[in-house]
Amino acid sequence: MSADIKQIKNSWEVGLMSTTKTCPEYTARFQTASDLFIKVRDEIKRGSLVKKNLVWLELTGCSGNIISLLDGANPDFKYLISQMTDFVYDNSLMAAEGEKAMEQLMDITNKEYILAVEGAVATKNNGLYNIIGRWKGETVTALKAITMLGEKAAHVIALGACATHGGVSAARPNPAGCVSVQSVLNRKVIKLPGCPCHPDWFLGTLAHILLYGEPALDSRDRPLLFYSTLIHDRCPKRSFFDKGIFAKKLGESTCMFKLGCRGPVTRIDCPIRKWNQYVNWPIEDNTPCIGCAQFGFPDQMEPFITYNTTREV
Amino acid sequence: MNCYESAICQKIKTMVAESENYIDLLYAAPCIYTRNILLYQLKTKMNEINFLSGMICCQVNQIQASPTELPQQNQQNQRNITLQELAKFNGKDGNLAYVSVIGVVYDVTNNAAWAAASHFGLTAGKDLTSEFASCHACQPILSKLKIVGKLV
Repeated sequence: MSADIKQIKNSWEVGLMSTTKTCPEYTARFQTASDLFIKVRDEIKRGSLVKKNLVWLELTGCSGNIISLLDGANPDFKYLISQMTDFVYDNSLMAAEGEKAMEQLMDITNKEYILAVEGAVATKNNGLYNIIGRWKGETVTALKAITMLGEKAAHVIALGACATHGGVSAARPNPAGCVSVQSVLNRKVIKLPGCPCHPDWFLGTLAHILLYGEPALDSRDRPLLFYSTLIHDRCPKRSFFDKGIFAKKLGESTCMFKLGCRGPVTRIDCPIRKWNQYVNWPIEDNTPCIGCAQFGFPDQMEPFITYNTTREV
Repeated sequence: MNCYESAICQKIKTMVAESENYIDLLYAAPCIYTRNILLYQLKTKMNEINFLSGMICCQVNQIQASPTELPQQNQQNQRNITLQELAKFNGKDGNLAYVSVIGVVYDVTNNAAWAAASHFGLTAGKDLTSEFASCHACQPILSKLKIVGKLV
């Protein structure tokens, strides 16, 4: 139990609930990833946790999720690839190239592995719009790679908007016929929507899998550890909404509902966890939530900003 | 209303918000046991609300407060709205935001899910019956909205 929670518990016991301390729910949820990581680290030290192979497959996307992961703190990327998992394959970061890199990817199919996928699956012309490599002289499309690796993986974790529901890659007019990973796999796919996925959402889910197996998921296969509340429900500007005090332009510190904030329809813990190693997040910087962690982003979350809601003519 | 009654009203409001939260959780809960626990908590909350409301409106006949009366109350402020009139209530330029579902026109101007009068790519000022049916069928969310009229 962390020092903060202990302190709050002590204050309850003596009947002196502090009004200046952070709410215990915030404290506990802020620490989900670090709590899980500490358990993983302890078990690795004791030798009671077996490292698993991790394959990171990038399909049709922007590499945003792997870049986001490099910013992870619980654990940091070095620990993830050296201690926590055997990081077998990632096209952006691995040292091997060409056929040698593909060999590592193909070899894994005979072993047990966890598959992390970012990017949507381009399906037009039998997947020809995205070729991820060549193997024995033949091109390997993203579609072929995901169907082959997805079926044999112990767990499939789809990260980011594109992998979970098509996202930006499947936005109108969707020239490459992009679809979600789930659309081409007939199995359970854990979904971590977000553009990009927060390192904690992935690392916490991975740590949970290593320690206890698949975490509890909601009806759309998102881990409840992270996706259980709406941004609006934990928004620091919520009191402005309740009182009907609305910002008319960016940068104003009141509720951005009239500017088109998507916090009320977006289910994720950004207000508690924040970004860039827990520093800040859009709403606290007075720009509206664009709903990047909600299914349907970006098309269904547009327009991202609206100025003529309150303007009277 | 004396301060005793307003305290009870405040408490009821809190409990209604809690009940709504339980309903939201029910949608998110994947496991039948969790759902059963939530349903039990919801039932308990309803009983408490019933008890508290009984304390402040003991003069009011139970039958009068029954749900069958509610539509009649709503009818008092109902007016007929055509599709053309509805289109003006698009939430832009200071206009209110209305949408209609199965012939009933609702006000979504200050509904949280309708920021800037748009919701998952849909805009206000339209009849959204089929869109509603494809996403929210069987969800008791319309009752939370203010009814403003009837689509004719």
